[in-house]
Formats: sequence, C-alpha cells, structure tokens
Amino acid sequence: MSGSEILSTLLGSEVRGDLLVLFHRNPGLIDTVDGVARRIGRTTIAVISEVRELLVLGVLKQKRIGASEVVFLDRAKDRELLESVANHLKTVRIGGEK
Amino acid sequence: MTAARPKAGASGFDQLFSGKEGDGLRVKTGIIELDEMLRGGFMPGDAVMLAGSAGTGKTTLALQYLVNGVKRGEPGIYVTFEELPDQIYRDAKNFGWDLRKLEEEDKFRVVCTSPSLLLESGEDSLLDDVLRDIQPRRLVIDSLSHLEMFVKKDDMRMEAYRVVRYLKTRGVSSVLLWESPQISGGSFSITDVGLSFLVDCIVALKPVEIESSMRKALVILKMRGSDHDKRLREYEITPVGIKIESAFTNYEGIISGSPRKVASEKFMDLFRGASEKRK
Repeated sequence: MSGSEILSTLLGSEVRGDLLVLFHRNPGLIDTVDGVARRIGRTTIAVISEVRELLVLGVLKQKRIGASEVVFLDRAKDRELLESVANHLKTVRIGGEK
Repeated sequence: MTAARPKAGASGFDQLFSGKEGDGLRVKTGIIELDEMLRGGFMPGDAVMLAGSAGTGKTTLALQYLVNGVKRGEPGIYVTFEELPDQIYRDAKNFGWDLRKLEEEDKFRVVCTSPSLLLESGEDSLLDDVLRDIQPRRLVIDSLSHLEMFVKKDDMRMEAYRVVRYLKTRGVSSVLLWESPQISGGSFSITDVGLSFLVDCIVALKPVEIESSMRKALVILKMRGSDHDKRLREYEITPVGIKIESAFTNYEGIISGSPRKVASEKFMDLFRGASEKRK
C-alpha cells in the first residue's frame, strides 16, 4: 500500500481519527471494541467498522481473551506505517516546492 | 539484583534452574529510607500490597518503584484500570520520569485495560504478550480494588489469588495497590475480603492530623520471611517523588486516628513551660 493510500485510510473518517489519537496517546490500551468505543465517547455500532478498517491496515491487532475479543495497537506496524506516511508527506512537500 | 538474576515473565522454568529462592537478594525500591525499613528491599517474587486512601501517593510510590527498577536494569509494567496512560505519562513527567522514553527503549510498559479482561483467562492471558515482550522483573496493578466491581465479594479472594499466583509463577515481583478508605483500629484490617493473607508484604500509607496540620505516615504492617522496621515514618511527596523522613517518635495513636503526644513528651512540655515561666 502506498503512503497516500495509507494516509487516506487512516484519516478516512472522524471516528477513525479519534481511534488513532486514542491508541497513539495510550499505546498500552487493551480493550474490547465496546470498551474502546466508551473511551472515545461513541457507541459500539459507530466504532465497529472503523476498528475493522484499522485491523485490515494492521495498525490494530485482535486477540481472544476468555470470552472476549480485545483490540490493541501493533506498535511495530504502527511505526512502519507512520514512516511510510512521513516519507510520502516529504515527497509531496518537495513536489509542492518545485 | 543486577547480576546473574533469573529472567522473568517468559516461563516459570527459568526460576527452577536459577536458584532464585533463598539467594538473599532483595528487590530495591530505590527509596533509600524505605529500603532500610525493608532491610534491603522487598523479597524477590513477593506480592506486596500498597494500601492507602486517595491522595496518599500510592501511584507515585508505585511508579517510583518501577522507574528505579528500570535504572537497575529491571524492566517494569504498570497495569492501570482507571487512568488512561497519557495521564500517567503526564503525571510521571512532573516527577522527572519520562515513561514514553522508557517504553521506546522496551524497558517499561503502561497497560491500560478493564479488570474483567484481566480476570478472563482462557489459553491466553491478557498479560502474556507484554510479559514476553519486555521480560519484566516488576509489575504494578493499579488497583486491585477495581476487581471488586467485577467479582462477587466471596470470589474476590480467589480471583486475587489467581492474579498473584500468575505473577509469582513468572518470577515477577508485584505491587498491588489497594484503596483503603481508612486504616485504623487495633486489628490493622486493610481489606474486608481477606486479601491481607494473600500478600507477602503490606505497606500502608495514611494521612494523619497532628497539631491541626495534615501529615502523612508510612508503616510496614507485614513482611513474610524478613525482619522490618515496625515504626511509623513520616513521608512527603516531593517534586522528585516520595521522600521518607523520621519516625513519629513523640506521638502515639497515629494509626487509630487519634494521635497524641506520648506521656514523656507531655512531661517535657510541662517542664519546658514551667522553666520558661520561671525566666
């Protein structure tokens, strides 16, 4: 996936943006989708598809704990994606200056 | 504690072949006066209960214990049920502890989750991955009191026992915070669910009113397998963390909540008063 594609996926919706901010500020957060929704003041229904997008992208990971599915930040993948985005932004800026 | 110590977190087998038990090493808190009170530090692998009411500095003391551990090459984990990590990072920074930097160096983790998830365990435990990642020697749970909201009172002791055993099996020294509204009376009852018997050591923090000002007292109520300082010591929360001062030698009844000067001190006060009048 290219830097611009990653960027547009990450910032695809307001809720997704809220989720990214939550997990970046709190990289050690491990919670159910329901719990994550509560932490950003949204409903589970509003959050579930956005969490799925971030799982597909690889920013979040999923794990079964007893009877619950929890989500958490994949720190390594997150770093990798941020680097791609940063490189993409550099290219855009250089292109813009030209 | 830095040389030839067993790895923690990955497997109980490490301890089996390490000769850890009885090796005489202590888990230093890094607070010199507290380590003196503990005769060198906590016993390795012990579960310690840090009990106190709100505002007594439980979180500060626990973070200080973990940060000082990292300085000694012992990675640590802080498990929080209430505060989000960004608030903990901010508060820790006020004491000069850069937890984000320690996390980047894989020496520290703040895990934020729900107590119910910590208790739900199938094949995988919530903490398995993070224990594998950073191989911690120290772990703090803030706080055990939150488990009470998710389990019946009768089951609380069993669930807490499971958490304690999970950490002990992995050779991790744990500090379990406990919100106790008041620690008073002759029985020193810290919890009403019998958790005091599960832990190896109990450190109690208590605000006390002496001569119309609020001061803070720390006491070690219990330490299995070791001698310890039995005195109540005054402490302060300073800009660099907890600082333990001298013992409350001139007062009695501090734990019961009614501190008064000991008889000899009252006599000395009278004597001083009389000699000043004579002048």
